[in-house]
Amino acid sequence: MLSTFFLTMEALADLLQPTFMSMIVDRGIRNASVRQILFYGVCMLFIALAGAGCAVMRNGFASRVSQIVGKELRRDMYHNVQLLSMENIDRLRPASIITRITNDVAQIQEFVNGIMRIMVKAPIICVGAIILILVQTPGQAPVIAGILLVVSVLIFGNMRVGYPRFGKVQERLDRLNGVTREFLSSVRVVKAFNAEDGEMEKFDGVSWELARANTSALRTMAVFSPFISLTVNFGVVLLLWISKSAQSAEIGRLMASVNYMTQVLFAVGMISNTLNTAVRAAASSARISEVLCEKPAQRMPAQPLMPEICGDIRFERVSFSYAGAGKEALHDINVHIHPGETVGIIGSTGSGKTTFVNLVPRFYDATKGKLLIDGCDVTQIDTKCLRTAVAVVPQKALLFSGTIKENLRWGREEADDEELCRAAEVACADEFIIKSAQGYDTLLGQGGVNLSGGQKQRLSLARALVRNPKILILDDGTSALDAQTESDVLKGLGGMGGKMTVLLVSQRISTVMRTDRILCLDRGRVQGYGTHDELMDSCTVYREIYDSQIGGGYHGGA
Amino acid sequence: MEKKEYKPVRRHAGMPGGPHGARGGGEKAKDLVGIWKKLLGYCRKYLVISVIAILCSAIGTVLMLIGPDKLSELTDTITEGIMPPATSIDMDRVVQIGLTLVVFYVMSYLLSAIQGWIMSTVTQRVSKAMRSDISKKINRLPMWFYNQTTTGDVLSRVTNDVDTIGQSLNHSIGSMVSAIILFVGSLVMMLTTNGWMTLTAAVASLLGFVLMFSIMGKSQKYFTRQQKHLGEINGHIEEIYSGHTVVKAYNGEEEAQKVFDEMNRNLCESGFKAQCLSGLMMPIMGFIGNLGYVAVCVVGGAMALNGKISFGVIVAFMMYVRYFTQPLSQIAQAVQSLQSAGAAGERVFEFLEAEEMEEETEKISALLNVKGDVEFEHVRFGYEDSDATIIHDFSAKAVSGQKVAIVGPTGAGKTTLVNLLMRFHEIQGGEIRIDGTPIHRLTRAAVHSLFCMVLQDTWLFEGTVRENLVYNNERADEEKMKEACRAVGLDHFIRTLPQGYDTVLNDQVNLSQGQKQQLTIARAMIANKPMLILDEATSSVDTRTEQQIQTAMDQLMKDRTSFVIAHRLSTIKNADLILVLKDGDIIESGTHEALLERGGFYAELYNSQFEVAM
Repeated sequence: MLSTFFLTMEALADLLQPTFMSMIVDRGIRNASVRQILFYGVCMLFIALAGAGCAVMRNGFASRVSQIVGKELRRDMYHNVQLLSMENIDRLRPASIITRITNDVAQIQEFVNGIMRIMVKAPIICVGAIILILVQTPGQAPVIAGILLVVSVLIFGNMRVGYPRFGKVQERLDRLNGVTREFLSSVRVVKAFNAEDGEMEKFDGVSWELARANTSALRTMAVFSPFISLTVNFGVVLLLWISKSAQSAEIGRLMASVNYMTQVLFAVGMISNTLNTAVRAAASSARISEVLCEKPAQRMPAQPLMPEICGDIRFERVSFSYAGAGKEALHDINVHIHPGETVGIIGSTGSGKTTFVNLVPRFYDATKGKLLIDGCDVTQIDTKCLRTAVAVVPQKALLFSGTIKENLRWGREEADDEELCRAAEVACADEFIIKSAQGYDTLLGQGGVNLSGGQKQRLSLARALVRNPKILILDDGTSALDAQTESDVLKGLGGMGGKMTVLLVSQRISTVMRTDRILCLDRGRVQGYGTHDELMDSCTVYREIYDSQIGGGYHGGA
Repeated sequence: MEKKEYKPVRRHAGMPGGPHGARGGGEKAKDLVGIWKKLLGYCRKYLVISVIAILCSAIGTVLMLIGPDKLSELTDTITEGIMPPATSIDMDRVVQIGLTLVVFYVMSYLLSAIQGWIMSTVTQRVSKAMRSDISKKINRLPMWFYNQTTTGDVLSRVTNDVDTIGQSLNHSIGSMVSAIILFVGSLVMMLTTNGWMTLTAAVASLLGFVLMFSIMGKSQKYFTRQQKHLGEINGHIEEIYSGHTVVKAYNGEEEAQKVFDEMNRNLCESGFKAQCLSGLMMPIMGFIGNLGYVAVCVVGGAMALNGKISFGVIVAFMMYVRYFTQPLSQIAQAVQSLQSAGAAGERVFEFLEAEEMEEETEKISALLNVKGDVEFEHVRFGYEDSDATIIHDFSAKAVSGQKVAIVGPTGAGKTTLVNLLMRFHEIQGGEIRIDGTPIHRLTRAAVHSLFCMVLQDTWLFEGTVRENLVYNNERADEEKMKEACRAVGLDHFIRTLPQGYDTVLNDQVNLSQGQKQQLTIARAMIANKPMLILDEATSSVDTRTEQQIQTAMDQLMKDRTSFVIAHRLSTIKNADLILVLKDGDIIESGTHEALLERGGFYAELYNSQFEVAM
């Protein structure tokens, strides 16, 4: 509101000046009065000063508003993305989301800033100047109308042509982002394969496409924008042309008219400058609203249950298939896991072990059947409440840049140092943490690049333990540990007291053998569920695995 | 090339209370002139065409300038006709001037369109060249660089910063040039019209420039900060979304949001300051313009009173003053946009000038007929960014064709050894030799070409299964590829995919971790290089599949020197040499049997995996 006020004042000041100028000419010079000239001159200066003051204020507001708009947009998008499920993220693609949050928002910001500066001011000047021309020399109305018509057609045309092109630019920017990201996250492999040239070619390809898209969009602007000033220039000539017959026209008025017309010219020039950003911003805003409108694929319950979770998990005829994949990854699973139990999950590569455990913290929802935790349908439970009770140690240990301590605190923010140390001890991570130069304050690179695979896994496990979960999921989370360390870790887990339900996915039969019960999966189906001895009797798949690892020909023993 | 210290972006893992507050205030206004020199260096290639563009805008501007002159002629002609004692308007003259004007305007339109056309091409080429340089740079940077920086920050440099440069060059170079020409041109035109009035306007605008430069100096650092914060936000988002599973699993959304909000606020704040300060230039210049206008009015009015000048001259002069002061605000606007380009350029060049791996042109670029003798001699190493020594004094020898297994507890330095062998990192003492040639005398590419490598972290890129398999190996034929897939037990699975080998792997195709490993093993088989490195290559593959792969691997390892890191000791039992590593030193070495007999660390390790303790 205030900024509009300042803006109006500023534009008014700009507008009044030619009037004063014409007064200087008409009254001052005509009447041969230096006093008059000075009087109007001083008036004019005052107005100019006031205008500049308003402009400064308006500039402050404009900057504020555009930055806040950008900030809010970024926050809302970020927030919304956080709410989205895995499926949404997979679909929108992280690389694209990143460009949208930074680059697209920046486009809008620039536009908002531009519009606050110019777009509002320019129309006011335009309209004001045109009204003044019409009042002073009504005969020129048709010319003005003609010019306005042509200009609006041009602006509209520019939008029509430029919009899809700029949309493409942003899309290409996404792709560039994606390719670069892939490239960066795999520098080691790229180098190992001496594939630098191939990667660069790929990069150059996308980069080239972006340049082309950009060029084509900008060329549109290059053709359209000056067209507008051409039109207005013609208008000036026309005005003069017409006024030649207006015998009674005072010279002052004529001059003022021409002057107003030049004002219009400048204003229109500004508009066409901003138009550039406007078209780009329009394309960006479509992309932003796509993110903002993306509905989470998982529906949150209207009245979420917040049960005290103690770790009873029941799969009732659960089937699941990934979006876009035809085959079912899990088929008709019926399993009941009691609180406090440790259940080993074993099966060949691609048999659905990870998918199985991913359903528990509701990363995905079962496509058929029901998953009950403590008797409540998992889709009815408040996700936050659910995930507080469940801790996951994923296959690929994902750590974040920051200190070790900060990474561990992801588990539970309010955990004190002692708790962190205890968790690290159980995960057998304390030993190498203490040995690191800065101990718990050692900085990790993104994804923990400066740690070995086993160290990452142990940290990731410690992070899960800090949480004091009711349900702990180890998704092959000990694969990079040597047998001795793994055994220590599992012993440590056992010592945590049987209050925790543990789902232990592993490839190693020796690992799952120690668990209370074992779930043997094959191609998404349950092949057997029971203790080691039961399965040895009843389940062929399990026996085969056992034989391959321990029984057949491998010596060493229990 | 001059070396500058690269300041990596360090951020914090989503925990509140990180040292964000301490940031800021420290940045100096960097060497802007130097940055601009480099930026313009990129444009040099397009010098000719840029000059054409500048000429276009120059000519266009001149036409714009002559415009008001003609206008005033027109006004004068008409005025003469109206004012007594004239009788009628000189129509021929009016028509003639009018037509000239129309021609001028059309030409100036064409010229400015051409200029815009050329500039948009040039700036995009320049941006592209810059991006190419960044991608080349990515390859030349040492590995440890990536330990220190976030992917998202580099991404921001490639996309946002380069984009900013491109956009502002495109916006402002043209208008800057035309503004300067307009400025100088109108000065000349004014001088030819009336000296005193010109002086009046010139004094006013001089004042404007002084103010503008002082503002520029103040606001530049905020622009720099703005781009930096943008990079940080990019880094944060990138990391959070790559780790989306974990963030979700740990209800980390709120913390992440907090960090994000903080960064967002920083960005907003620096953006505001940058914009607000540099935005001051426009109104100030506008006021200076008005001041000049009034001054000219007064002086001109006074002079007209004395009859020294005609009304036409005043009209023309008013226009000139507009043209004279309008470039001031145009320049102000262009400068503002160039300032952000400068800040972005600073980041781009900072990246481009980060310390590189040493130049390798004089090194041996290919080792022919490799037998595969590998020798480590007193190797000492610690990661570049820490003081701790990881490998103390490592000596070992692998004879051609041997299978060497490296075992040891996690963190013993196994992967580090492999990294050294591949020359991902440079050793600090001792030597590694292949067939007697120290690897530091080979180019990195030469070293890499000797090894097939299957890593702990599987890496697949977005592309078809086929592209992933034959990665960077055009010679691989179809049959060989399928054979490799059969060998690792993946052929069947691939054929069940919707498009078989042409299925595009992306986020939507869910490969299990084990399948990814199978794929990377097949990739290594297809690559078919003289030596082999397997770093926990089968950790996520189930044991039955592993056995199947093992057979294929044994085939692959035959007559190849191979280095195998594995926790499942069963896979390395048949190794010719087992090196047991602990804390970066070899504590035992020998064959499986010999080591078991010895009953030392290895035997303990081996037996522990069959223990059933509960």
